[in-house]
Amino acid sequence: MSAAQEVHGGRPRLLGPAVAYLLLAVGALVTVAPFVLSGMTAIKSPQQFAAEPVLNPPQPLTLDNFSTLFGGRYDFVSPVVVTAQVVAVILIGQIVFSVLAAYAFARLRFPGRDALFWVYLATLMVPQIVTIIPLYAMFAEAGLRNTFWGLVLPQVFGSPYGIFLLREYFRGIPEDLISAARLDGCRTHQILRYVVVPVSRPILATLTIITIVSHWNNFLWPLVITSGPTWQTLTLATANLQSQYNGNWTLVMAATTVAIVPLLVLFLTFQRHVVRSITITGFK
Amino acid sequence: MKSRALALAAALVLTAGTAACSPAADEDENKEAAGNTTVTVRIWDDQVAKAYQASFDAFTKANPDITVKINLVPFADYFTKLPLDISSGDIDDIFWLNSSPFGALADSGALMNIDEALPDEKAGWVEAAVDQYTREGVMWGVPALTDGRSVVYYNTKLVEDAGVDPANLTWSPDPAADTFLPAAEKLTKDSAGNTADQPGFDAKKVDQYAFNAANDLGAIYYNFIGSNGGEFQVEDGSFVFAEDKSAQAIQYLVDLINEQGVAPSAADTNDNGDFSRDKFLQGKMALFQSGTYNLKNVADGATFDWAIAPMLQGPTGRVSVVNSIIAAGNAKTQNRAATIKVLKWLGSTEGASFVGQSGAALPAVTDAQQSYYDFWEKQRVDTTQFGETSGSTTIEAPFGPNFLDANNAYNPIFKEIFAGRTPVPEGLQEAQDAANDAIK
Amino acid sequence: MRRSSRETGTAYALLAPSLFGITAFLLLPIFVVVWLSLNRWNLITPAEFVGLDNVREVVADGAFRRSLVITAGFVAIVIPVQTALGLFAATLLTRGLRGSSLFRVVYVLPWICAPLVLGVVWKWILSPSDGALNALIGQRVEWLADPTLALPTVAAVTIWTQVGYVTLFFVAGLTSIPTHLLDAARIDGASPWQVFWRIKLPLLRPTTFFVLVTGIISSFQVFDSIYALTPQGGPDGVTDVVAGRIYYQAFQSRNIGQASVMALVLFVLLVVITVGQQRWFRARTTYDLSS
Repeated sequence: MSAAQEVHGGRPRLLGPAVAYLLLAVGALVTVAPFVLSGMTAIKSPQQFAAEPVLNPPQPLTLDNFSTLFGGRYDFVSPVVVTAQVVAVILIGQIVFSVLAAYAFARLRFPGRDALFWVYLATLMVPQIVTIIPLYAMFAEAGLRNTFWGLVLPQVFGSPYGIFLLREYFRGIPEDLISAARLDGCRTHQILRYVVVPVSRPILATLTIITIVSHWNNFLWPLVITSGPTWQTLTLATANLQSQYNGNWTLVMAATTVAIVPLLVLFLTFQRHVVRSITITGFK
Repeated sequence: MKSRALALAAALVLTAGTAACSPAADEDENKEAAGNTTVTVRIWDDQVAKAYQASFDAFTKANPDITVKINLVPFADYFTKLPLDISSGDIDDIFWLNSSPFGALADSGALMNIDEALPDEKAGWVEAAVDQYTREGVMWGVPALTDGRSVVYYNTKLVEDAGVDPANLTWSPDPAADTFLPAAEKLTKDSAGNTADQPGFDAKKVDQYAFNAANDLGAIYYNFIGSNGGEFQVEDGSFVFAEDKSAQAIQYLVDLINEQGVAPSAADTNDNGDFSRDKFLQGKMALFQSGTYNLKNVADGATFDWAIAPMLQGPTGRVSVVNSIIAAGNAKTQNRAATIKVLKWLGSTEGASFVGQSGAALPAVTDAQQSYYDFWEKQRVDTTQFGETSGSTTIEAPFGPNFLDANNAYNPIFKEIFAGRTPVPEGLQEAQDAANDAIK
Repeated sequence: MRRSSRETGTAYALLAPSLFGITAFLLLPIFVVVWLSLNRWNLITPAEFVGLDNVREVVADGAFRRSLVITAGFVAIVIPVQTALGLFAATLLTRGLRGSSLFRVVYVLPWICAPLVLGVVWKWILSPSDGALNALIGQRVEWLADPTLALPTVAAVTIWTQVGYVTLFFVAGLTSIPTHLLDAARIDGASPWQVFWRIKLPLLRPTTFFVLVTGIISSFQVFDSIYALTPQGGPDGVTDVVAGRIYYQAFQSRNIGQASVMALVLFVLLVVITVGQQRWFRARTTYDLSS
């Protein structure tokens, strides 16, 4: 990658580097501004927000909005915990079951393999809004509305997207590694555990991050399948708070900050993986 | 690479670990704790929730085997969630109702028959509430709150400075008889300090509003319609608000917002029911017409001197909608006996007085009402305007088994009318047709 | 080619959980939604078979047709702009300028966050009386309440959310172009502009294809951010996109039958778009990157 960049950088350009930097900086500013502004509002007192111009920096700087948020009445602790639990369970289920399926598609031969894989792929085209209604009906009839398992079940059994991703990667594992393990008498589950998974760490890390991000941010399904404060996820709690305390922007911005920060931290820690994950998923 | 994977694994373990100690997990345990029943109560009012908490604490002291949990659902979503939750069985044991969904729910058997469950309690309840929620001769809920008449909360300084007497404001579609508009214009200031009756007034830069005209049924337009001698619904439940007198009232309100600029733009108030209240509390609105449900908010939130005046007078006098709210029981509750006990408590003088004592709302249990008036007397607030002494006549709240559907049909059109984008006569006709279609 | 029945058995054992998941939660619902579309059901009273009545009503439903038009309009604004901006940003970021990787990280920040939460943040920023944007420009503009502004505004927020994501794909695409091709062109005297149009862009077709297809598919299903910014269809219903219409029809009006028909229409539409785009691009793309 750096070789290509070197070559590109050597010739006279339509836009000089100064202009390029300016444009990039403007882009960065526009990207970051809403985060900064909302964060600023979250640490302002409601009185200051109402009395002074909105763009004034917080003075005094206060964490009251956050303590109100986590205090008894709004109880933002529960949505954070519920979301973490849901994401953890879905993550484990999706990774495990996707690895199993991807291995089967990638390394085993069996009748109907390609046709079945096409079926898996085809389901990627089914939009969420289409399955929402029947799933709601099915879960409501089964008494699973507003339960933990109602939130988790549709997602926990592996994702076609993850299976697709992993299969590509598994196909690239050298046959020797696996044959060697087989010759050593390994059963399938041991092959997976001692050969496939260790070798696939990068793609697994990638898939983990994609899974965490998409399920942490899921809104439509929790909106439909849960009711009330017990099982609301973080995105749902934020929406409900905004609905209830419409003009109370300092409180609402505190809620959005809480909803964003965990993923922001995750992202900044693992940003190389995330960036790579986004680009890997595109190609092939 | 390895350390990062470890970090991720650690994070996962941590979250899985908190799963064991989540509040949600605890709750399930609590439910099964020996002998203890939990009754859930769904309401929408923040302030009353606090009072209810105190009330239920007292109840649990007297009934240690019953815990009561309050489920606060935002008013904006309350009635969309209600039918979904009732149909999927996720509804709380007790839940507030107003007249919108009441008829349909009573008919569908979702509500507990209160005449059967609490046969001897009716005498203690406010008669208007009992009437409003009796259907086919059966009482379907325990009256929880009753609204009192609408009043005008006003900012004494702003009103004095403008030389306006808030107790004598009469509006009229006839400009000659309209004393309200000139007063409102004096009370509206733009950011340059010009009042609305001055030539340089910039309606786009209003700093201080006079009044909270908006698409608000209970506090604003229903009362305006009534005070002009208009009608909203007729006896069989069909809607007639496109008729002349009602249309005049709506036109007057729409002009206040869009022509004269003395009330906030519908862009601000259509989706935010608290906008005007917040402006009033910030000292940026002179007159705020509302009900008992905002008294505590005003008292707690206003940092300036304020007082209460009777509501605006119209061509046919002061006419206010009086509305009550009931606490209905879930007919399919798992904890029928405990639920009935809690309902009885809510309908008792003792249980209801917590709400009155906190000043949060006027209880619909007659003997508990004095606690409300006493509380506010101590706060030196004159609550007489809420009661019959204010001289306003009352009109019935909207009714009918499908009012909710009708409201869903006509409200979007009303929003456009108040935004000034749809002319009043056509808009009202369209809305009326949509509403009547919805209740067929 | 040995086929052992044991291998088959193992394979199906490995596939069992995901197969169950896909069948139960992705395939079965399609059949259920077709069945639901043939019934009248409001979640409270029992369902009643009405055959094709729902289809008739949906076809006649002006609001639904309008929502399709609105969604198409939304896509027509969002996709070209975000693709062009993403490509432009990617060209800037592949020039070997110092700090490019930092900019990449920054641009992707919005993608990490929940669209709903970002919608709430923007709802404040765009608030007419106490929002940051109006404070910044010193004017009172009713971004989300004015029927002429609401849809472009919502589209702009979506573009803001997604440009960084698109940029990354184009960066990967640009950097995978073999340098010898670019060198050869330069040696032949091609200007940077020509290099871009004649070599880079055509070789970016797979990336562009991917970005366009996924972008169009996901934009057609936009819901979360619109729900936050302009609930209930927005002023005069101008932001009443299809996914929103389906949601409100199903869970507010509780008209499950009609909502199911609408969902099926959307499904078919998306399949047609996907297949159509595949065909169109396949005919015009070379994959020979000599790699």
